[in-house]
Amino acid sequence: MLNIKRLAAAAAVALGCAGLFSAQAVAQGSGPIRIGGTLALTGPLSATALVHKLTGEIYIEDLNSRGGLLGRKVEWIVKDDQSKPEVARTLYEQLVTSDKVDLLMGPYATGAILSSIGVAQRYNKMIISHTMGIPALAKYDMHFPGWSVGPKPEDTVPVTVFEGLAQLPKPPKTIAIVTSKFPSVHFLSVGAREVAKKRGLQEVLFLEWEFGNRDFGPIAARVKDAKPDLVWVGDIGLEGNMLLEAMKKIDYVPPLNIHLYPAPGPMANSPESQGAMALTIFEEHKPFTDNPVAAKFVKTFNERAKAAGLPYTAVETQAAASFSAWQILEAAVRATNSLDDRKMADWLKANQVDTIQGKLRFDRGNNYGDDLMRVKQVQDKNWVTVWPKEWAAPGATIKTR
Amino acid sequence: MDRRILTAIVAGGIALAVLPWIGLPAFYESFLYLLFHWIILAVSWNILSGYTGYFSFGHGAFFGAGIYGAAYMAGTLGWPFLASLPVAALVAVALGLALGAVVFRVASVRGELFALLTLAITFVIATIILNTRIDGGPGIYMMGVDIPKLGPNQASSIYMMGLILAVISLLVAYMIYVSRFGAGLFAIHDDEDVAEVMGVPTYRFKLYALAVSCALAGLAGGVHSVFVSYITVSEVFSITVPLSVVLMSILGGSRHWFGPAVGAVAITCLLYFFTSGDGAVLGRAIFGGILVVVILFMPNGILGLFSLLKRMKRKPATEHVVPHAAPAPEKAAKIGAPILRVRGLSKSFKGLKALNDVTLEVREGEILGLIGPNGSGKSTFINVVSGHYRNDGGSIEFMGRELSGQEAHFFAQAGIARTYQIPRPFVNKTVLENIAMAGMFGAAALSREAAMHEAHEFADFAGLGDRKDALPDDLNLHQRKFLELARALAARPKLLMLDEVLSGLTPSEINGAIDMVRRIRAQGTTIIFVEHVMRAVMALTDRIVVLNHGVLIAEGLPAEVMSAPEVKTAYLGKAHA
Repeated sequence: MLNIKRLAAAAAVALGCAGLFSAQAVAQGSGPIRIGGTLALTGPLSATALVHKLTGEIYIEDLNSRGGLLGRKVEWIVKDDQSKPEVARTLYEQLVTSDKVDLLMGPYATGAILSSIGVAQRYNKMIISHTMGIPALAKYDMHFPGWSVGPKPEDTVPVTVFEGLAQLPKPPKTIAIVTSKFPSVHFLSVGAREVAKKRGLQEVLFLEWEFGNRDFGPIAARVKDAKPDLVWVGDIGLEGNMLLEAMKKIDYVPPLNIHLYPAPGPMANSPESQGAMALTIFEEHKPFTDNPVAAKFVKTFNERAKAAGLPYTAVETQAAASFSAWQILEAAVRATNSLDDRKMADWLKANQVDTIQGKLRFDRGNNYGDDLMRVKQVQDKNWVTVWPKEWAAPGATIKTR
Repeated sequence: MDRRILTAIVAGGIALAVLPWIGLPAFYESFLYLLFHWIILAVSWNILSGYTGYFSFGHGAFFGAGIYGAAYMAGTLGWPFLASLPVAALVAVALGLALGAVVFRVASVRGELFALLTLAITFVIATIILNTRIDGGPGIYMMGVDIPKLGPNQASSIYMMGLILAVISLLVAYMIYVSRFGAGLFAIHDDEDVAEVMGVPTYRFKLYALAVSCALAGLAGGVHSVFVSYITVSEVFSITVPLSVVLMSILGGSRHWFGPAVGAVAITCLLYFFTSGDGAVLGRAIFGGILVVVILFMPNGILGLFSLLKRMKRKPATEHVVPHAAPAPEKAAKIGAPILRVRGLSKSFKGLKALNDVTLEVREGEILGLIGPNGSGKSTFINVVSGHYRNDGGSIEFMGRELSGQEAHFFAQAGIARTYQIPRPFVNKTVLENIAMAGMFGAAALSREAAMHEAHEFADFAGLGDRKDALPDDLNLHQRKFLELARALAARPKLLMLDEVLSGLTPSEINGAIDMVRRIRAQGTTIIFVEHVMRAVMALTDRIVVLNHGVLIAEGLPAEVMSAPEVKTAYLGKAHA
């Protein structure tokens, strides 16, 4: 016979585990509107998550100060997915089936976003993601992106970059493309090769490195030998800084260099990075800050980020995409005057939403709309938008060395 | 094998299989799937690393090989998902066997070197996958992959697959744990060289354990590919997987089949408990603190602590033990034809000839004394004839079968057993389990149950009847010497080599031991008796062989040999005056 004591202990553990979670379940009904989501608050992606968390808190506070939604206060239930897609999936399952939240807000990293989209799809919930950078993978018809990269950024983003550079008195004729194999970066760099070829830019070098690489010396040497007019760097985080430092060690300064997703603070402050360009959807200057909502958000974010000890306190792509995601959700609820996911999704597909990065629409492939990516450049240790002209900081143009 | 445990595992699985149909929020399925996932990984890691002591950091590689095996077949090539699962397992097994076939042959690659090597393999596999068409950089998207309908919806189907695999993993872990194979694995963990000499085919067993471990990890990876739905190299091959499974197994207790499952449940629940957005970092710090405290105060894990408490409850044993058997006849056995023929046996260590062209015979039923001064090559002779060392030259013919060049376990299985001068028991096995090992893997080749049953008799014979459940560390030197003897006898050897079993014993203990050796011989066992206690040599041996500097210098009846001038010279030195 099985030991009764052991069985009882096992049952107690099982019940205890179950109790951990069921205690959080709250019945649906009146009271605050509950919006659930996850962020990578711990783990390797946690540095960026703090920007999104701060943005969400600022937005919810502001929303409630404006009376909330549908006459109800709004409550944001944010959980830590620990930078793991499988945990993100389970937490979204919990938010939908156990916590029974009213609305979903997505996470920001590709793996976690795809996990959350899968859950939303199974339960017919609308979900808005912060920075889903590979539109081809976001096939759910009630997923909406807060980051306006367009349905085919691998075609449109390089076009934006090369068109900007074509305005220079001496446009680049040769290009070296070096890129991380990080998925959301790699496909853009591969796209850039094709676009460069079509535009008559001669590719003198194409190199890839594995995400996590720390030795950029050989890559810097190969770039120097290739003597390109333009270096396209498919980097993420601090990779771009490490490459530029490696170039400095061999006394090489690239004439023009564009980076995809560098860490904004370190790139702006490094002496080697002066003149480096990158992609953006928002920077803290006119004309972006002509929008009073944006100006207010920038002011609040700067103060709160400083108080929270964030290393970079300015609003740029991550915070702007996150803020836009909240704006999309608010717009959908207000326009439909309901929390019905299908109604809100239908409305978003048919209408535009005014956000701090510009007007967003969701009527093209996989609910993506226009590609609003812009080019920014480090000038005097500050990021300024330099292309397209209508979004450039007052008087700012692309500077060459 | 305890059928109640098997029934409990299966019954638990059946009870949990009902969950998708009873209307609980689907989140519970998702969370339980995560538990199953980590149970499979931790249990599978433990089958290699916990059981054999080969601490692997490469479980991420085998898991990753499974994920990509399934993802490539189902996600890229469009195979049916179920058909991709065997591929996931096979890819992981092939990787593991390719690694093990090389690494397990190199005696120096144990401990931290093995751990580092397996970690390196993870990075190698990640690099290959990232730089070939298997992934190439963009990752593999699995959202559109159809999975077999095992539950009301897709999530519950994944839950069911995880549950089935977890049940299989636990059954496999338990059945190995209580099997002869499992006993061999745990012996490898404690002392691989002794295990091999005792008859455990260590190389083969390690490969089998690795294959089982890889297969389960590969299957876990295959199922997990549809759970996460987007597969990227950086996430799959992160250090998180191997670190987590190691931590889970250690926390739960890696010497117990169920320990890793306990650790997996504890850590997954703890991690999940701290997913609230407010104070997430603080939560992780508390989680880390709990782990540190638990590991500090429970170094053998949660189940290890239970085992310790259980052992402490048993009655303390007596300090002195005396073999309780009737006195043996003075010289009883009939001397027969030679069963061991050693011709021209040589063994060198970095140029030093420890054995130099030694030729001798051992006849059935006799006690052959093997003596010589320190460093004369006696222990080397035993090490070579037991297969512990390979001979450089010459031949070893045992019962008409040539053994030189064979692995050590063949020697044991052929009927040769030995004791060690300094006892080398399996330190984590009880007296009874130590003795049963020889019964299972020596010439007797008994089943585990039969060997455990017989071990009682040999423990009693060696006077260890009151200490059957004690660990070797709890025995005194005398008892450990007798444990060596009981263990060698349990193999039911044709030839028993006793390497200084009397050293360190008191005169009365020596008398008891002499009596015991006589009784062993009386049962028909041939004995090579290496000893410095000349009183015992003269009392016991039928013939004596003398080695000096690795060379056989005398052979014959005890009285004749001991009076030979070259023997006196070897022991006392040459008179120059």
